[in-house]
Amino acid sequence: MLTNLIFIILFMVGFYALIMKTNLIKNVIGLNLMEAAIFFWVISFSDIGGEVSIHKFGETMGKFNDPVPQALTLTGIVIGASTAALLLTLIIELNKFSGTIDRDQIEELND
Amino acid sequence: MNKLVKKTLITAVLAAAAFALYYNFSLLPGYQDLEKGISDYIITYGLHDTGSLNLITAVLYDYRAFDSLGESTVIFGAVSGIVLILSRKMLPVSSKGLSFIVKRTLGIMTPFIALFGFYVITHGHLSPGGGFQGGVILAAISIIFSIVYGSAFDYRRYSPQTKTVLETGGALTFLVIGLAGIVMEGAFLKNLGFLTAERGTLISAGSIPYINIGVGFKVGAGLAIIFYSMIQKTFEEDF
Repeated sequence: MLTNLIFIILFMVGFYALIMKTNLIKNVIGLNLMEAAIFFWVISFSDIGGEVSIHKFGETMGKFNDPVPQALTLTGIVIGASTAALLLTLIIELNKFSGTIDRDQIEELND
Repeated sequence: MNKLVKKTLITAVLAAAAFALYYNFSLLPGYQDLEKGISDYIITYGLHDTGSLNLITAVLYDYRAFDSLGESTVIFGAVSGIVLILSRKMLPVSSKGLSFIVKRTLGIMTPFIALFGFYVITHGHLSPGGGFQGGVILAAISIIFSIVYGSAFDYRRYSPQTKTVLETGGALTFLVIGLAGIVMEGAFLKNLGFLTAERGTLISAGSIPYINIGVGFKVGAGLAIIFYSMIQKTFEEDF
C-alpha cells in the first residue's frame, strides 16, 4: 500500500512538472521523475524479502528475489538516460537560437 | 488571476487522477498471486543454462541478449544525434582546471577509479555489476579529467577519435559475438558453450564476459562523448 502511495505521489509530481512548468529543463526533470517512479514501483512490487538474485559460489541459496523486473529496470534506466541527454541537447540548441528556454516566451517569439 | 485558476483546476484534476490510480492499484493482486513461470524457470535453471552466477546478468546477456543489443543501439542513436546536433563546434571550453591540491589528489585516485570500473565490468557475471554500470564509472574518469585538469587535457590524453573507436569497437564486439553464435551454436547471440570454464571463475559463463567488456567500453565511451559534446562552445565565444 505504501509502495503504491509513494509511486503515485512521485508520478503525479513528475506529471505536474511536465505539463505546468514552462521551463523546459524542469519538464525534462519531470519526465525523469515519472520514470523513477515507475522503476521504484516495479522493483518494490517484486521484492519478496528474499536474497539478492546472485548465487554465491558453492552455497545453496534461499529464496531469490525475481531477477526479471530488475533486468527490465536496468534497460529502462539506460533508455531514460539516453533520452534525457538527447532532450537536454535539443534544449541547448534551442537556447542558442531563441535565447530562452521558457515555453511561453518561445511561443511569443513565434507570433 | 487567470493563471491561478488554471493552476488550481489542473491540480484538482491531477489529484482526482491520483486518487483513481491509487484505487486501481490497490485492486491489483499481490506479487505472490501472480503467474510467474519465466521467473521461476530462470531462478531454478539460470545457473545451469548460462553458467552465470549473477542471474540478472544472465537475463540481460543471455536470455534477452537481443534486447540488450537494441538497448546499446539506443545509446548509439542518442550519441549520434547529440554529436550531429552539436557538431558545428570544434573547440572545447579552455578551462584551466581546479587547484594544485585537487589535481594531485585526483592524479593518485584516478587509476583506482579506472580499476574499479574494469572490475565491475569484468566481474559482471559473478557479482553485482556489468557492462552498463562499469561503463558509467569509466565515463566518470573522462568527466573528472575535463573538470579537474581542464578540457584541453582531456582532449589531448583521450581524444574524441579514441572515444569513437572505443564505442564502435564495443558495438562490433557485441555483433561479432552474436554472429559467432549463428555459426557455432545455430542462433543469433546464443551463448557460446565451448567458452564455458568451471563455474565461479573469471572466464566462465560462455560469451557473457566478452559481451560485458564490449558493452562496458561502448557505454563508457558513449557517455564521455555526450559529456564532451555538451561542454563545447562555439568558436567565436572562445576567441
